[in-house]
Amino acid sequence: MKFGIFHELSVGKPWRPESESEVYHNALEQVVLADKLGFDQSWAVEHHFLEEYSHCSAPEVFLSAAAARTERIRLGHGVMMVLPPFNHPIRCAERAAALDIISKGRLEFGTGRSATWTELGGFRCEPDDTKEMWDEAVRAIPKMWTGERFSHQGKYFSMPERPVIPRPYQKPHPPMWVAVSSPETAIQAAERGIGCLGVSIGSPGEYESRVKDYRRVIKDCDPIGEFVNEQVNGVTFLYVDETDEEAQAYGTKLAYTFAHLAAHLIGISTVYPTPAYKTPGLLFGLRAPAGGEKAPGGGGVIREGMGIGSPEAVIKNLKMWEDIGVDRMVFIINTAEQIPQEKVLRSLELFAEHVMPALDKSVREPAPAAR
Amino acid sequence: MPDQGTLTEASVAHTSPVLAPLYPPPPWKLPGARILRAVFETDKEAVLSNVPPKLTRSSPPYGLVSIEHYADSPIGEFSLAHQFIGCRAGFFVRAFALQSVVDSPVALSALREVWGFPCVPGKVTLAADGKSGSVEGERGVICNLALGGEGEELAPDLVRFDPILTLRLAPSLQEGTTHDLIQLVQVDAEVEAYTARRGKGEVTYPDGSDWSILACRNPISAVSSVVDTELPLARFVMPY
Repeated sequence: MKFGIFHELSVGKPWRPESESEVYHNALEQVVLADKLGFDQSWAVEHHFLEEYSHCSAPEVFLSAAAARTERIRLGHGVMMVLPPFNHPIRCAERAAALDIISKGRLEFGTGRSATWTELGGFRCEPDDTKEMWDEAVRAIPKMWTGERFSHQGKYFSMPERPVIPRPYQKPHPPMWVAVSSPETAIQAAERGIGCLGVSIGSPGEYESRVKDYRRVIKDCDPIGEFVNEQVNGVTFLYVDETDEEAQAYGTKLAYTFAHLAAHLIGISTVYPTPAYKTPGLLFGLRAPAGGEKAPGGGGVIREGMGIGSPEAVIKNLKMWEDIGVDRMVFIINTAEQIPQEKVLRSLELFAEHVMPALDKSVREPAPAAR
Repeated sequence: MPDQGTLTEASVAHTSPVLAPLYPPPPWKLPGARILRAVFETDKEAVLSNVPPKLTRSSPPYGLVSIEHYADSPIGEFSLAHQFIGCRAGFFVRAFALQSVVDSPVALSALREVWGFPCVPGKVTLAADGKSGSVEGERGVICNLALGGEGEELAPDLVRFDPILTLRLAPSLQEGTTHDLIQLVQVDAEVEAYTARRGKGEVTYPDGSDWSILACRNPISAVSSVVDTELPLARFVMPY
């Protein structure tokens, strides 16, 4: 199993003039430390208008700054919105290739379509159309990267023949992923031969059938890129401290604040009934089950499989993910600066010192080699 | 000693008058209800100034207007219209009842007294095809609502009705105090839709309408549906 960190760049109120700058620069410091400590990946979201929850609307800028400060860690768009009303697919291909060059081949290219009315409504993007828009874009982008020239006449964008440049540093192109928050999207990732980038906070039990379905379907996939990227990333929170009690105090703050901010966004299914969005996506994964049942792993927002606790507890929790076949775990390490920066950095150090060595670091590489 | 009355608290009817309540107690089964509901983005200031401090706004703020016809209820046929604020109670999505109009005096009493809906009397009209409706108060039309075009058919299981929050009040009869009782009440109706059409929604308020405090800044969606539902006992009652 390998490990990564995941940045939403959430900025809690009350806002001060320097609040956003502090969050961005704290996050960059975290990426630099993660690189030194042996974390494998650093991902940044693309979200728009999601006040407090995520102020990361230009992730390519953040990731470029991270690339310039680091040597080894892979840098992921987690994810880039590839819908034409957000980002024209040509610009997606160009910007991703440029970042791959700047980072000397360290880009992981995650793709997605947004799960909020806040964003889709802001870009006047019809929720019913986003799955088809995403599909058209993700099929075109690897062809832009690898063909000498590219032309396209599609439903949602078209272009006459042009060379789309620059070309990615990685050959044939960076590994491709899609944000997965529903069983249907896990299957769609597998059918297209791209990585399954879990973005909903859940327990290993909730992920298990999704992973099995993904592994089953990808065996017979029709890859949209030049190679199959068979990998499953899970996502959860990480806060490691000397004792479980100390870790849970900050870990609860982290998970609660994340869920509370997420609850104030408007999930598509809340206001716009459509078969294109049957599940609430990332947004409400931490709600307690209905009927007063306790969530797996205990009450409140601490759930089974979270990376919250002493090193021993976190090893035990992460083994659950390994057991269900997740290749990599990616961690949300702070939200709205609820945890002081020095404690976040110390948590990463404790993780690298005590947890990483205890877990198998082998991982299924993209085939054929993308690097 | 003088003889005492023997009417215990437990044996008092669910509402006064003691011997002849105007309406039966909840839950009320409401089969075959027709509901036209629109969701729209609205102004932050209007939302924040009209919800209690326990509730928070979404981003962006949104409101809902609903026109409902109940052909079959324990008190007979009636029509009801609501204006809601979309809000959050902790992690949860809720619809806070801001203003309501109902065309039946018995329903008016029950909805105010039992569930805390802010009902006033008026005329509520929902077209037979469920695609348009209007709400009238004592000074005329206060809201027009339309599906927006013909709409498109929608799988009924996609239609969502969030739990409703109301304010339940008992006014003080003592000088210098405001409320003897003020509670937030959560009403979670079980709703099973069996037909649904979705459109963009058109919400308009004539000039001077009381409902214009929740302006329709950007329509999101509207759904016309036929449902079996009920008005249940409150799921939660919380202090203000």
